[in-house]
Amino acid sequence: MALEHPHADHHDSLDDGGVHAHVSSAQFYWGIFAALVLLTIATVKVSYYDFGSLNILVALLIASIKATLVATFFMHLRYDSLFNTLTFIASFLFLALFILLTYDDLGHRAKYDVDYGSSVMLRTGQAAPGGMPATTATANEVPGAPPGPAEKK
Amino acid sequence: MANVTETVGVTGHGGAHAHPDFLQHHFDTPKQQFAAAKLGMWLFIATEILMFGGLFCAYAIWRALDPEVFDQAHHFLNKIMGASNTVVLLFSSLTAALAVRSAQLGKRNQTSIYLVVTILCACAFLVIKYFEYSHKIHLGLLPGHCFGHPGFSGSIQNGEEVGTCLRVRGDTPAGNPEWVRAVDEDGRIQLLSPRANMFFGLYFIMTGLHGVHVIIGMSILTWVLVKNIQGKFSKEYFTPVDLGALYWHLVDLVWIYLFPLLYLVGKPE
Repeated sequence: MALEHPHADHHDSLDDGGVHAHVSSAQFYWGIFAALVLLTIATVKVSYYDFGSLNILVALLIASIKATLVATFFMHLRYDSLFNTLTFIASFLFLALFILLTYDDLGHRAKYDVDYGSSVMLRTGQAAPGGMPATTATANEVPGAPPGPAEKK
Repeated sequence: MANVTETVGVTGHGGAHAHPDFLQHHFDTPKQQFAAAKLGMWLFIATEILMFGGLFCAYAIWRALDPEVFDQAHHFLNKIMGASNTVVLLFSSLTAALAVRSAQLGKRNQTSIYLVVTILCACAFLVIKYFEYSHKIHLGLLPGHCFGHPGFSGSIQNGEEVGTCLRVRGDTPAGNPEWVRAVDEDGRIQLLSPRANMFFGLYFIMTGLHGVHVIIGMSILTWVLVKNIQGKFSKEYFTPVDLGALYWHLVDLVWIYLFPLLYLVGKPE
């Protein structure tokens, strides 16, 4: 894809204190948009196939490719200061840390009991504080309740 | 953001060392001022990602705890509407990027046109969102409507209809679960677990906070548009156009993750 350089290249090396932004061509931006739309169609299409536990990974992978395209070209990170890119990536690293530590905490504090829909303390076996009171069972276990989910009309 | 009302005028004598109107006195050069503004914006974007991060963390945890319920509940979201909104936002991101490009080249009218298109796309996004929300509220999927906290819903009778959904009560050792009967986007009757409340709660809060960002982004872009029409920007100074567009791209980025996580993830049927 062609890139325009309205400012001659020697301007970049010559620091006159002015702002000399890299200007990408309009066609280039349209190309990125086309790629983003194709990836959107792809992510909807693959959602009709079952990859089991990989479903979420496939969806997140495509979303991350799209996010990278937006950040790199629409948000100009490609031509921006490296420190801004680091700031951006650091926010995702800290988010990953946040989610991982929360998972870890959950695994060590109490165990989730699906039958009772509440968390149970690992040491005492009693219901952990917080969350909804026990209100669950699967549809088949409810006497007199209508048939289970995904019932055809 | 530069104080554009301050009219210092050209204070320097040499052409290269001229002090333009848009340059605030505490910066040496426009380049330094631009770099500082960009760094500030990126730091702000990092805090925004961390703010949404709290909700993404809640989503990750509750999804891991209750995969079947999330799977079942996500069939109540319309993939076509979600995908249309994704394309609308991606297109608005394109026009925002083109607005910055025009500003970089000093094409004032072109910048205005692209900004107007971006704002119109934001309106289109909100209109589609309105139809999605009103359908879900009609179905009674709003927290507290069909889904009540068990501690507060003692007065609901078995088989009572709330909106178009039906609360069904059954006796189990675990208490009195209230199942919610409603028709999903594929036209099937689903018997939703009371814990689907968590999915719809996250859906409304995550898309709601995103919607607030859409409205804020529209306001920012409108302000940039007004300043652009007033002729405050030039090839040398287009920082607000650039930063406004960066905010708009952030709104797009968040939606790029929200769309698959809420609408697409789950077992296809």
